[in-house]
Amino acid sequence: MTESNPQVLNEAVLEELEASVQGDRAFIVDLVETYLADGASHVVDVVAAMTAADASALVRPAHTLKSSSATVGAERLAAMARRLEAAGRSGIIEADLGDEAARLDVAWDEAVDALRAWIRRGEDT
Amino acid sequence: MKGGRIVLVVDDSRVNRLVLARQLSGMGVEVMEAENGREALDVLRDHTVAIDTVLLDVVMPELDGYETLAAMKADDAIRHIPVIMVSGVEELESVIRCIELGAIDYLPKPINPRILAARLNASLIAKQLRDLELEHIEQQRLLTTTIERQRLELSRFLSPQIASLISSPDGELMLAGHRRLITVAFCDLRGFTTFAEQADPEELFGVLGEYHRMMGDAIVEHGGTLEHFAGDGVMIFFNDPVTQDDHVERAVRMAVAMRERFAPIAAGWRKRGYELGFGVGIAVGYATLGRIGFEGRYDYGAIGNVVILASRLSSQAGANQILLSQRAVSMVEDLVEVESIGDLEIKGLSRPVSASNVVGAATR
Repeated sequence: MTESNPQVLNEAVLEELEASVQGDRAFIVDLVETYLADGASHVVDVVAAMTAADASALVRPAHTLKSSSATVGAERLAAMARRLEAAGRSGIIEADLGDEAARLDVAWDEAVDALRAWIRRGEDT
Repeated sequence: MKGGRIVLVVDDSRVNRLVLARQLSGMGVEVMEAENGREALDVLRDHTVAIDTVLLDVVMPELDGYETLAAMKADDAIRHIPVIMVSGVEELESVIRCIELGAIDYLPKPINPRILAARLNASLIAKQLRDLELEHIEQQRLLTTTIERQRLELSRFLSPQIASLISSPDGELMLAGHRRLITVAFCDLRGFTTFAEQADPEELFGVLGEYHRMMGDAIVEHGGTLEHFAGDGVMIFFNDPVTQDDHVERAVRMAVAMRERFAPIAAGWRKRGYELGFGVGIAVGYATLGRIGFEGRYDYGAIGNVVILASRLSSQAGANQILLSQRAVSMVEDLVEVESIGDLEIKGLSRPVSASNVVGAATR
């Protein structure tokens, strides 16, 4: 795993999390659902700030998205959110942010799919 | 971990709060949550909950971790609550600033549950010790206030020297009893018994009050130790418990001052029909001093021939006379002008005692 292209979902993070709550899988599933619900609105806020080229409005949703994505192991999304948070903090919204916004949407969809797949796999076993 | 401890989790991410709250309740602590610094301060300032440790995120909307910590440290009521910063690795600069501001520790994200348990435990123990310390300080303060109040009350009932003796480290030794050379002065009023029989109670207490106030001032001015009041009789000694090289001189000067101040008071009484005279007996000698009495009612008193002699001289003194024993005269003869009144037969003493009346201070 490199800084430039981390994996969509690091399942080891979710497994460690599950172990830290004494194997309470139902709690982890609820947690992932909460992440998916909150994350969707953070992505919307981040994209809106980028479209409006509003650096200060970018920082907080990007920070929260970064932090909660890292918690559930959505590492690629977390890495993108980290870069956007830094950009927002520096106050420089670059010209290619439109592409970045599109890439964030894709990364979000990938993360959603990977997390849902992980939950389903757990239900099957 | 001790039960009943409450940890406040402050993080803008609901996902992170859920994870922390779940891990913390697994450790047996109660968890409260806040979404940002402003909410956190509201919880911390709520007197109905006592937070034991705060887990504080660095980057948050409304009020961030640094601002929240600064607000806590500026508030005396909550500044002592331990704060552990929670942050991503790229926020280390902010974390260092927070620790400089008084945060006790930091936890890197993503949170490792074992590190969380270890650091939280350390913080809760520190908080518990701090709480005990505060409780102890409060008890100490109450105790000091009580002692101070008792000392103040004591000094109203006892001579100031005796009140401070009781509070002093070697007080117990002194109270247990010791022998010392002292000067004893006995004062009383001629004609008092007749007056007490004739006057109504208000008049009696009025006259006594005026007399005692005058006496009290003179005793304090000259550093005498008041042993007791008994109606018109007052016994004062010098050179104990505080030592005074000039104890005889002090006693004589006090008696002279009393006699001078008594004159205008007696003149006032005379107008109201009461003929009262003032007499003093002063003697020097060794006495045994210490706690005298019984459990429940002790006095600091002096016992010895010197006390008896002073008392008898006082009863022999005529109005406005200050009678000194021979030994007392020998110790102050350069300082005062005396006139011998010859030998006196003293009850209880086998031989007559030679005594002198103080006419006034000698001109130097």
